[in-house]
Amino acid sequence: MNTYISSRRVVMKAMLAMSAAPWMLSTKVFASSSCDDHVVRFGGILSPDTMNPFASWASWQPLVCTYDFLVCVDAQRHPDRRGFAKEWSVADDNLTWTFKIWPGMKWSDGQPATARDAAFTYNYLLGSIGKPDELNVGENSTADMQKVESITAIDDETLRIVTKTPTRWPIDNFTMIVPQHIWKDVSYADARSTFRNDPPLVGTGPLIVQEFQQGQFVRFTPNPHFRSGRPSTAGMIMSFFNTADPIAQGLKSGSLDFGISLTAAQSADLSKNPAIKVVETRCEQVNYLAFNTASGKGAGSSKALQDPAFRDAIGYAIDQKAIVDRAFRGLAEPGVGLVPPSAADYYSDLNDVRRHFDLAEAGRRLDDAGYLDSNGDGIREDKDGKRFQLELITGTVSGKLEIPMAAVQLIAGWLGQIGIPVSVTQLEAGALSARTETSADSGGWDLLVAAAWPSPTPDDLLRGFSSGAHANRAFWSNEKFDAILSEVEVTLDLKKGQELVDQAARLVYTEAPYITLCYPFLLEAYRKDCFEGWGEDISLWSYYPFDRLRSA
Amino acid sequence: MTLLMVAILNFILFRVIPGDPSSLLLGGARISVTPEQIEAQRQSWGLDRPMFPDQVVDYLSATMQGDLGYSFKFRGRRVADLILERLPATVALVGLAQVIAILCGVMLGLYAGWRRGGAIDHITTGTSLALYSTPAFWLGMLLVVIFSTALGWLPGYGAHSPGAVSGSLDWLLDYLRHLALPVAAVALGLIGQYVVVARAAMSDVVTEDYMVTARAKGLTNGQMLMRHAFRNAMLPVVTLIALNLGYVVAGAITVEAVFAWPGIGGLTVEALNARDYPVLQGIFLLLGASIVVANLVADLAYGLLDPRVRQ
Repeated sequence: MNTYISSRRVVMKAMLAMSAAPWMLSTKVFASSSCDDHVVRFGGILSPDTMNPFASWASWQPLVCTYDFLVCVDAQRHPDRRGFAKEWSVADDNLTWTFKIWPGMKWSDGQPATARDAAFTYNYLLGSIGKPDELNVGENSTADMQKVESITAIDDETLRIVTKTPTRWPIDNFTMIVPQHIWKDVSYADARSTFRNDPPLVGTGPLIVQEFQQGQFVRFTPNPHFRSGRPSTAGMIMSFFNTADPIAQGLKSGSLDFGISLTAAQSADLSKNPAIKVVETRCEQVNYLAFNTASGKGAGSSKALQDPAFRDAIGYAIDQKAIVDRAFRGLAEPGVGLVPPSAADYYSDLNDVRRHFDLAEAGRRLDDAGYLDSNGDGIREDKDGKRFQLELITGTVSGKLEIPMAAVQLIAGWLGQIGIPVSVTQLEAGALSARTETSADSGGWDLLVAAAWPSPTPDDLLRGFSSGAHANRAFWSNEKFDAILSEVEVTLDLKKGQELVDQAARLVYTEAPYITLCYPFLLEAYRKDCFEGWGEDISLWSYYPFDRLRSA
Repeated sequence: MTLLMVAILNFILFRVIPGDPSSLLLGGARISVTPEQIEAQRQSWGLDRPMFPDQVVDYLSATMQGDLGYSFKFRGRRVADLILERLPATVALVGLAQVIAILCGVMLGLYAGWRRGGAIDHITTGTSLALYSTPAFWLGMLLVVIFSTALGWLPGYGAHSPGAVSGSLDWLLDYLRHLALPVAAVALGLIGQYVVVARAAMSDVVTEDYMVTARAKGLTNGQMLMRHAFRNAMLPVVTLIALNLGYVVAGAITVEAVFAWPGIGGLTVEALNARDYPVLQGIFLLLGASIVVANLVADLAYGLLDPRVRQ
């Protein structure tokens, strides 16, 4: 009996203890979100790999908060967005650039940040060129540095870059400037592989990475030595997710202040919440329909794909507005040319050469080009007399679908209506890249719906469409286009650059190896209760507006 | 021998998937990558060498020495370190969910089987079938919407609040708060599974002749249950438990994705997206080994439960 009573008491005690557990666990001490700590909470579908900018290719977002570019990508449009250099000029020879570094600037550890650090960073990269451990694998890469003759620190505040040919590279490169005193003893072999650059990092950006938990989050603290003053928030926590659902739920519950990578449905749902502001931001994504123009190995099922007249006719059967309205719920802009509107300096609406959606016109043009339905069965034949049956491939990138399948189905439907049946194959990222990369084993497809992410610099906007380029999924080759690109690469004048980019865009539009479908918005949302100062132009390319947020 | 076969299969499986990690090694789909740079990258990682025998022999000999190599994606990180870093979170999530599911599911299932046709049997069986057939990720999303978004009781993602000092009591409680919803999502599905199996086993046992004999001998319900029914009904349940325990290290991929739980499941997704062969091989080798061990445990447990097996 005693044993029974004793065990009953134990059970009662255990139950009492357990009843206290929910209270203990739900105390505010452990609350994951609160405006009181002034820490910005950011969520996105991200998977940062390493904090080493010479080895990383997936840590852009955290690294750009900590390290500056020499010239920020937004500097030309926003005078308060400069980067490591305060001002710059180019000599009359168009080869010699002089950069003035912010006077008295310091690294986050209090050490002086000077032109010597910038020179070190660039020369560190330059010195690796041609070596077995060339630094060509990360965000900080030797790509395009063959244009550079020399980079010298004249004094603490003056950096001189001399290029071999005129180029905008000195102000358009995305090299993150790293501190010499941290990196000077890191070998090339380590820098491109095993050196992890463990936090706390040392940078000149507004938010410094203090903690990196792989697969979980990056925690930032404000840089006390930031050139325009210490940011007023207490830092930022950037959480990583594999899907957007927890991001949307986090915004609703208040455990996140800012979320990216949202879907159209989540965006519509969140916009009903008065505490949340949904932002549709233009980004660099260009969704396109590509034709396999290869003529040799890897060619498509019909030679018609190599015929500009055929591709042009197909262009009349694509209704970009319907794609935006029906597949993107209006959260995109109808596609025109290869330059996205976010690259405002180079965008053109190509009004004078634009095609309009007209299936009858598409049919007429196909007839004129010799692609007839000779036996009246509703399916056209190519010039070899072969009935069309095109394969359209599309798929995911890094686990995400860049283009809704509804858009792909619309395209297949329109082409079917003009007598060109299309079968759709949806592939996983690896399988998709295996079939579309520029290599001997790729190809065999006819149509591809995919996306490009060019940076808003003139040569990068065009390079992906040049002959033999890795990103040139259509395998398109055009000497005139390549010549324009070569000229763009040595053009510094903005107006002339715009004219050249416009010429190239028109060429691609009329030759139609790619038909631009739309420019999707980046769907972001922020909560209004903890912070203000979000602005309307949250930049994917840098840390804005996280340097200027303040508690609400 | 089994593990050797697993290792070889791992090597082959991930290489027959279409896709080449070499462009990833040069920064994903960077526009400026040239074919020459890709080839140089393939050479430096040994991807240009013949898959058989060069790559496979190198892989097997290194694996036998415990060297799983370096990750393609997470530069500078050893595969073994990456796996060991993520393993505790997965073991905590799936392990705890298994323990809860075994305790609740087996007890409920056995009781429902013992009291066939009763109200508890109907309720338990119906609920269990519903839980068993519900995808864990959907259940997880439902839990997040209710307990995190609507009620705000528990965090809906992550393993702990950033900045928490590891090892402190606060950290532990914070960890448990984060663990609660994902464990519930995994455990609820498993409970359904255990209830269904345990109930079926007990239902079979109670109709056996030896149970009639036991009742004729004058044994009480409790004596019949504990001495005869329970032990016999546990045989299929033990098999299920052992097999499920083998999957503890595999993680719960979809649930980990819903809750952004930093376990092996999440690492698997990241590695798959990145064609990170060494990490995938390491994870699947670990999974293969755990299944082998789980089967061994099941065989040994059979011997303990059923004397006929020992003979």
